[in-house]
Amino acid sequence: MADDKDVLRDVWFGRIPTCFLLNQDEVTEREAEPYYLLLPRVSYLTLVTDKVKKHFHKVIRTDDAEEMWFEYEGTPLKWHYPIGVLFDLHASNTVLPWSITVHFKNFPERDLLHCPSHSVIEAHFMSSIKEADALKHKSQVVNDMQKKDHKQLWMGLQNDKFDQFWAMNRKLMEYPTEDGGFRFIPFRIYQHSLHTFIATFLLCFVPVSAVCSYCSDTRSLSSPTLSDRPFIQKQFRPVSPEGHVHTLGDLLKEVYPVALPNEGGPKRFQVVIHGIEPLLETPLQWLSEHLSHPDSFLHICVIPVPSD
Amino acid sequence: MRSWKNHVRGELQQRDQTEKLPFIGVFTSLSQMEERFEFRKTCLDDVQSKSLDRGGREVGKDTRLLHLQLRESEHLAEKLSQTVSDLTTVLYLKEAELQYWQSRVSHFRQEALSLAKGSNTMKATLSEFEYTVECQSKELAALRTEQKGINQALEQACREKEELLQRWMEEKREEADRLNKYNAAQERWQRFAKQLKKHLHNARTKEFVPIVTSSWCGEAEMPTSVIQRINNTYRGHSEHNHV
Repeated sequence: MADDKDVLRDVWFGRIPTCFLLNQDEVTEREAEPYYLLLPRVSYLTLVTDKVKKHFHKVIRTDDAEEMWFEYEGTPLKWHYPIGVLFDLHASNTVLPWSITVHFKNFPERDLLHCPSHSVIEAHFMSSIKEADALKHKSQVVNDMQKKDHKQLWMGLQNDKFDQFWAMNRKLMEYPTEDGGFRFIPFRIYQHSLHTFIATFLLCFVPVSAVCSYCSDTRSLSSPTLSDRPFIQKQFRPVSPEGHVHTLGDLLKEVYPVALPNEGGPKRFQVVIHGIEPLLETPLQWLSEHLSHPDSFLHICVIPVPSD
Repeated sequence: MRSWKNHVRGELQQRDQTEKLPFIGVFTSLSQMEERFEFRKTCLDDVQSKSLDRGGREVGKDTRLLHLQLRESEHLAEKLSQTVSDLTTVLYLKEAELQYWQSRVSHFRQEALSLAKGSNTMKATLSEFEYTVECQSKELAALRTEQKGINQALEQACREKEELLQRWMEEKREEADRLNKYNAAQERWQRFAKQLKKHLHNARTKEFVPIVTSSWCGEAEMPTSVIQRINNTYRGHSEHNHV
């Protein structure tokens, strides 16, 4: 059961200071001033940026305006990923506030899903919760909930109401004491862009100048993330059949050993959850109960260690 | 407290120190000011449009200000009532949560009581078993002592038996020696007797011829020298045997 409430609150109330800038190619009636907002790490971009849309709609020709979308340093930001995951994956080493470019034209159909309304976000959110509960409890807990309970989860997230959300979410974090944990841990491991991984790998063997040349050549490539597999998700138990409690290190060793440093070798990657690096000996069950996002998934970002 | 938990707590606080706390004041103030500005702009536009609707006469500045203040007060009151509503909801949720935790406390208290009862029962059973084990240990020690004594007696008996056997063997050996000596003596006597018989037979044979010769003369008579020789020989053997 999620008993460390201070950790739950710190996770829920995590914020990222953000500066929204209108794309210079957008046609405006007057100069667009940036819009500053503290984004909740656990929410979704399209859920919390209504004011941003309203702000920039004042200066652009609304007739020409299409669906709003966001981009950071050329990478379209997927709205269906939690905001904290997007930041950790793409901009964790950037100077704050995080500068996001706002677009109203040329929607990148190949990279982003459309989000015409909040109901689409709600559908995606509830789908994730159900998928997670299928892994944790064979869907028994979420299926026993009434529709109003599902609604309470969504409204808690939408209105940033911690108590309202957790009054219902605690049921999704319970498990039979004799089992020692969930059936499987819902997790997703995100990797930074492919060419950054390759560049990091090459830095071990070739001069920096050659790597920079490679980066400039490959940055023009489309689909900067691994298009075939955007994240790693597998079935993994929190406790072994012998009763051994699995840790974060055990998970990575099983499903993504590249993230772990070689014995005696330098640390090449950071394993980041909610902007922090938990110790590898942290029990996976505890992480799932306390550091999951509101969609009940443990979103883990593996990013290269900063070179500076 | 476990180190990994402390690490997570510390990291989260450090993260907020870097990402949230330096900006929360400024961003919140900015957001509030923008909201107020938007509201006042809306109110002003609304007031101006209403004043123009009333026959085109513009309303005085003080009136507009009063209107603005009124609308702002209404807006603040609305926000306060919303806050009160939110806090009431939170209060209800906290009460529900409190009831839930109280029921869990009650459940765990019951469980603790039954576990304590079970623990006491098991302690009593344990002390009984300990007493039984102690008694049986004493019995075992006594039995081991008895066994030791019996083993010693057995060893003693075996030693005595061995001694007796040795003595009996010795006795038998002596008896066998005696018997052998007796048999040897018997054999010698028999050999001697046989020799004597042979001698006697030879002597008789030798004397018979003269007897036969003398018998031509009269009675059969053994010569005296032959009889003396026989007696001397017999006497010598019998003295030899008695030694």
